[in-house]
Amino acid sequence: MNPAFRAGAEAGLRAFIPLSVGFIPWAIVTGIAMRAIGMDALESMGMSLLVFAATAQFGALPLIASGAPLWLIFVTGMVLNLRFVIFSAAIAPALHEQSLARRLVGGFLLTDAAFAVLGPGLAGARDPAWRWGYYLVPSLYGWLLWQGFVLVGVLGAGFFPRDWSLEFMGTIALMVMVVPMVRSQPMLVAALTGGLGAVFLRDLPLRLGLFAAILLGIAAGFAAEHWRRKETAE
Amino acid sequence: MIEGVWLWIAFLLLGATTLITRGSFIVIGERGSLPPVLQRALRYAPAAALSALVVPDLLLVQGDLQPFNPKLFAGLVVIAIALRWRNPWLPFILGMGALWAARFFAGPA
Repeated sequence: MNPAFRAGAEAGLRAFIPLSVGFIPWAIVTGIAMRAIGMDALESMGMSLLVFAATAQFGALPLIASGAPLWLIFVTGMVLNLRFVIFSAAIAPALHEQSLARRLVGGFLLTDAAFAVLGPGLAGARDPAWRWGYYLVPSLYGWLLWQGFVLVGVLGAGFFPRDWSLEFMGTIALMVMVVPMVRSQPMLVAALTGGLGAVFLRDLPLRLGLFAAILLGIAAGFAAEHWRRKETAE
Repeated sequence: MIEGVWLWIAFLLLGATTLITRGSFIVIGERGSLPPVLQRALRYAPAAALSALVVPDLLLVQGDLQPFNPKLFAGLVVIAIALRWRNPWLPFILGMGALWAARFFAGPA
């Protein structure tokens, strides 16, 4: 093994492992939530392996449960994953010496945690092999940990009675993700507009209400930021 | 619920969204970059999208607006916990506890 790759891998794991404990409840809940809407164990693991994006998975579950059209599931997944375009742009320079196959793998493994924890260390490193080890090995470890505990949730879900409403844990997970995002006034405006928009537009055909509500939320947040900037400028 | 082959097609489509978004710039390389205005607007996408998924579940009962229900109560408990503590388990334990307690005292909804 290339010594630089190995050194990078060790440094990356040291940074990543303490935080990775936080994935465990999410992974278990993701497993339980998939079973709770009626998917079997194979389908649940298939979804987890193919999608590997908790937010998009949780977001898609109510749509899958209610038989929404496939295009809406795709659009919802795109919207919920959109933040990764920004992360991808930030990480890209650190991986640009790698082959296309490696960049595809690296891209698929880019999680919020990998971006947040590994991003700063990647930016300052010179050696491409060190960077690849620093990024790839913790990301693979995170993937294994995630899939392992999703499996625990998937297999454990059968032991919980249905009338416990365990699918509500999916909603709890979404709330826990959105609360830390809402740290500024425009972000709050975006969240409230998106949320209330989805309630009041729910009767639009083809579940277009959800998509319209998300667009309204983005526009409202952007407008709020703009107005606030104007106010401070005056 | 979506079933059988259609369910697997839905998974593949969702997997494609993972690869398209995360792979985007890493796969293309350094050639492209998003216009700054779009980048700024996109920062609001996750909060708007997550909230659009959560709020209907908290405010609607069988498709009707019914704000005083056990899920909203449990949701407010979860938000309060998430604002106060970083512990990853607490929102799930206390949120489910609040839901069950509210159902027990207020009747199912």
